[in-house]
Amino acid sequence: MDEVATKIIGILKKNMKEPPETIALDTKLSDLEIESLDLAVIVFDIEDSFGIQIPYNANEEVQDFATVGSVVDRVRALVAEKDAAGAAA
Amino acid sequence: MTGVNGARRVVVTGQGVISSIGTGVDSFWASLRRGACGTGPIKNFPLQDLYITIANEVRDFDPRERCPSKPLMLSDRYSQFAGAAAIEAMKQAGFAGKLEKGERAASIIGSGIGGLATLEKGYEDLFIHKKKATHPLTLLRTIGSSAAAHVSIEYGIKGPCFGTVSACSTAAHAIGLAYQMIKFGMVDIGVAGASEAGITYGAMRSWQAMRVLSPEGLFPFAKRRNGTVLAEGAGILVLEDFEHAKARGAKPLAELKGFGMTSDAGDMVNPSVEGPTVAMQLALADAGLSPGDIAYINAHGTATTVNDINETNAIRNVFGKDAEKVSISSTKSMHGHCLGAGGGVEAVACIKAIEENFVPATIGLDEPGEGCDLDYTPNEGRSRDITYAMSNSFAFGGLNAVLVFGPPPA
Repeated sequence: MDEVATKIIGILKKNMKEPPETIALDTKLSDLEIESLDLAVIVFDIEDSFGIQIPYNANEEVQDFATVGSVVDRVRALVAEKDAAGAAA
Repeated sequence: MTGVNGARRVVVTGQGVISSIGTGVDSFWASLRRGACGTGPIKNFPLQDLYITIANEVRDFDPRERCPSKPLMLSDRYSQFAGAAAIEAMKQAGFAGKLEKGERAASIIGSGIGGLATLEKGYEDLFIHKKKATHPLTLLRTIGSSAAAHVSIEYGIKGPCFGTVSACSTAAHAIGLAYQMIKFGMVDIGVAGASEAGITYGAMRSWQAMRVLSPEGLFPFAKRRNGTVLAEGAGILVLEDFEHAKARGAKPLAELKGFGMTSDAGDMVNPSVEGPTVAMQLALADAGLSPGDIAYINAHGTATTVNDINETNAIRNVFGKDAEKVSISSTKSMHGHCLGAGGGVEAVACIKAIEENFVPATIGLDEPGEGCDLDYTPNEGRSRDITYAMSNSFAFGGLNAVLVFGPPPA
């Protein structure tokens, strides 16, 4: 588990009322007790921590948020995109 | 005269509206009839880095034309809208200048966010441009009580005067409270409703962060619905004691028959089904009507995934087998989500629907969503005998307000 994954799992735990001991990469987000605006707050926290923008509409089933691992993958990709844009500039 | 427990009948003697599909009731209703959509690219301020770039902005509004008095002309856009709509309503009701018995009148005009544009400009001046002072009118323009106060001053209204604040149920609550004041003899006239002009860069950023706005459009009850679209607007009614209206020879447009309000006590954003169910039942009971009496429901219909299915289920709870027979539509598909002003704008739609026996459509309803299987009057409005109509408002925080309108008393 790399730094990105560790950071994201930290953010998830921080925003949960009773976080489980371990959150694995294959844990489904729907299995964690994330309700209502919690997800919007988690997305905001991740965006802020990594300096990225995550496209996300609460009205849509977003594949990116199926599992913790899929969130980590998406964030890694967005960070890489941002770094590439920075390097090109 | 008076009914049970001294309750009096409350009629509507005037109405006024400002919306993205028309300034003034005639223009607004004509747009609703033909299915016009007021959604478009945001033009009122620079977009900068916004990724949601659509809204229902009011286009045809010049404060110098619509707000004859200087204080109103110099107020925040939300107060200007309220004032202009109130002026249209009061003119229709046959009132000009100061009311004879101001102490027997109320001005209950709310807003979801009040003078946000003024506040944002004030903060920009202070924090970014480091100006020495804000404009002296900043505070008065910002607070959510100003619209009610301006209207009270315009017409010499000396009875109860304040604004309601309940997110998307603001206008319905204002109208309901004024109705109760008249019903129980506190006042004879009430100018009631709400106004919203809260589409600014900062507001859009805040709304974006909630992830409930659609980048495409507002498609209530549709499979493709993916969020709501913000709108500006104002909807104001002149409510009056029926006997008082009759005595001065005024011609009522409609009767306000019932009002119900509840809270979900559940979640700040996700609605429950019980709160809206009971609010509709209370409004019907207050009106002395059965669900089968309602021919048209103007739904809250915000086009979020959660509201539209929840509202459908609540309607089924209340109406039972009559749910299949009632005509429903969300006019938000055309005028957008006017937030605090929604209930007022939609009350005007209901009153016109009763007057002309015409159900405005839910436009953009190409394919209904799963579980959304009632008659939402897709795409084209239709003629139908409408005696009684219901208007739903279900706000963030689970704040529910429902109004029931009927024809003018014989």
